[in-house]
Amino acid sequence: MTDTPENKTKIAIRDLYKIFGDYPESALAAVREGTSKDELLEKHGHVLGLNNINVDVKEGEITVMMGLSGSGKSTLIRHLNRLIDPTAGTVELDGTNIVDLGEDELRRVRREEMSMVFQNFALLPHRTVLENAGMALDVRGQKKDDFEAEARKWLERVGLQGVEDHFPHQLSGGMQQRVGIARALCSNAPVMLMDEAFSALDPLIRTDMQDLLLELQDELRKTVVFISHDLDEALKLADHLVILKDGYVVQQGEPQEILMTPNDPYIVDFISDINRARVLRVRSVMTKTEEAPEEAAGEVDHDATLESLISRSKGETGLTYIVIRDGKQVGVITMAELFKALVPIEASEDGIRANAA
Amino acid sequence: MATYDFVFSALGLEEWCDANGGDAAPMSMDALVAQSSGEEQTTSIWELPFPSMDALNEACPAFPQSRALTLGLENGFLNVKDSISVVLDPITQPLSWMLDGALYGVLNTPWWIVIPLILLIVWLVSRSWQLLTFVALSVGGLAFIDYYDYAMQTLAIIMVCAFLCVLLGVPIGIAMSRSDKMRAGTIPILDMLQTLPPFVYLIPLIFLFSVTEPKLYGIAIILYAIVPVIRLTDLGIRMVDETVIEAADAFGMTDRQKLFGVQVPLALPNIMAGVNQTIMMSLAMVVIASLVSAPGLGVLVLRGINNLELGVGLVSGLGIVILAVILDRVTKAALNRINAAQKG
Repeated sequence: MTDTPENKTKIAIRDLYKIFGDYPESALAAVREGTSKDELLEKHGHVLGLNNINVDVKEGEITVMMGLSGSGKSTLIRHLNRLIDPTAGTVELDGTNIVDLGEDELRRVRREEMSMVFQNFALLPHRTVLENAGMALDVRGQKKDDFEAEARKWLERVGLQGVEDHFPHQLSGGMQQRVGIARALCSNAPVMLMDEAFSALDPLIRTDMQDLLLELQDELRKTVVFISHDLDEALKLADHLVILKDGYVVQQGEPQEILMTPNDPYIVDFISDINRARVLRVRSVMTKTEEAPEEAAGEVDHDATLESLISRSKGETGLTYIVIRDGKQVGVITMAELFKALVPIEASEDGIRANAA
Repeated sequence: MATYDFVFSALGLEEWCDANGGDAAPMSMDALVAQSSGEEQTTSIWELPFPSMDALNEACPAFPQSRALTLGLENGFLNVKDSISVVLDPITQPLSWMLDGALYGVLNTPWWIVIPLILLIVWLVSRSWQLLTFVALSVGGLAFIDYYDYAMQTLAIIMVCAFLCVLLGVPIGIAMSRSDKMRAGTIPILDMLQTLPPFVYLIPLIFLFSVTEPKLYGIAIILYAIVPVIRLTDLGIRMVDETVIEAADAFGMTDRQKLFGVQVPLALPNIMAGVNQTIMMSLAMVVIASLVSAPGLGVLVLRGINNLELGVGLVSGLGIVILAVILDRVTKAALNRINAAQKG
């Protein structure tokens, strides 16, 4: 999960608004003047889905869009392949505005440029696993004999063998979602949209699937847009994290950065009860310097988690480690600094948790 | 002096009434009695008639009586009937041919071909030995008591009509599922077809087509039986899981791919339920259709009623029940096989 700023922008979302209701155009003016979601519903009877979204999705990265239910995350991902049309704004894929595409062009984009994985799997119940996996190729007009090899390859890659001729309902949820992922990969599209893809699975299988996704991602370097309501999942997967609330972006950036410097009480609430040692990495806490410290207990990779360093130090608080990146020193970290970073940021008094209690 | 004289005098229409009326409308019975008794009728408030067409006609002879309405409808229909026939006759002619052909075919093929053929179809559709045995016994039984010809005629008519119902009904249902306007326009017609007593639309059909033509009862059966297959096709397609449709869209399916690759296959259990209902309703109608010369078991039922031949009526009625059970079980067996193949 390295941050490589040279990555080019694959999908650029600009000034995107979505308002649900009978007269979205008139409501749009009100929203632009700063009407909030609740006010809009009360005064105009329109639901604000997305409010001025600007996100750059970088090529080859996993961009996670996170928020609670009703935050507009599922609406947002459906704008990327225009399952939902925006009220205003643009979505550019490699510089072409998706919003302006005609029917045929849009269909080409959906077939060749983007694939999608769904929360409820959305497999075709009357087709076999193999036919489901090859659906994207079938849609492009290939015969079963032609796409069979490709579909088999991807089913095997996601860990499904010997169930090719089963029907989806004969598989467990986890296996069905593997088919869903194989189906998306089989289309060979550079962009993969994942709408709460693992939310319907039980925790152990969810972890498996997350590992599978990261493993596939190491190899394939797809541009992945992942929707989640689970912060642990988001932090595990994200190269770029976008946090949504009530249809607007509260904060976006590298996950470590958001953890260290949350800019909104909403996010503080979110991150207040995660295991910081497991998520924070040495590079976020270290002091940047190329000078060697006087007394170093050892070297540590810049991407190691704080938890791993704590277990290495056996709890000794006086130690100092040299932080290494690609074999070169990029900083030093003292255990004292490390423990300071572990102090949780308190949940705010008037935040979502206070209200919930 | 009639009750509603004042209406016309208030409107100043007395002259129009007197000038135009009188001889055109025949006198009502009440008026005749009043005239012959020579007494002026007085009506109390308890006997105040509703200001209906007849009551108003009493006050003003120029005002039309209510029977003018039904008469006008009849004349209007008779006037346009020829031009309707010009259009409808050629369109519906294939129906006559199909029914004639099916009846000819089923009666002129030896029984030792027809019965095994039926059993083969039952086996292919249901794959159930139990059902096969039941059908063999039932058909054999009907043949044994010499009701074979009648039963086969009924079966042939039902098969032709149900086939046409599916052929027409499924596309109509699909069109309804794709357009809310089409649905809003079609549903009142379907409601009407379903609730209108079948005898009622036999009457205009008799005017339109000659009673000797098979298409007369063919159309009556189709009109009566087509409703469920249309409704359930529409319902079935609308009930297809939205997430699956979304997936189909997300992978760039064309409308056609979506319809034939996703919607129709997933709606198939519902469509088959509609076909089952359609066949059952054709069977119900085939008895009524024997009033307008449809051959088959219905003729025997009718004979039983007309001549009070209790035995004939009961046995042929029972024959219809047996046919109904066979058709119902076979289509349901097919439905179950579809359901088993694709449960959610």
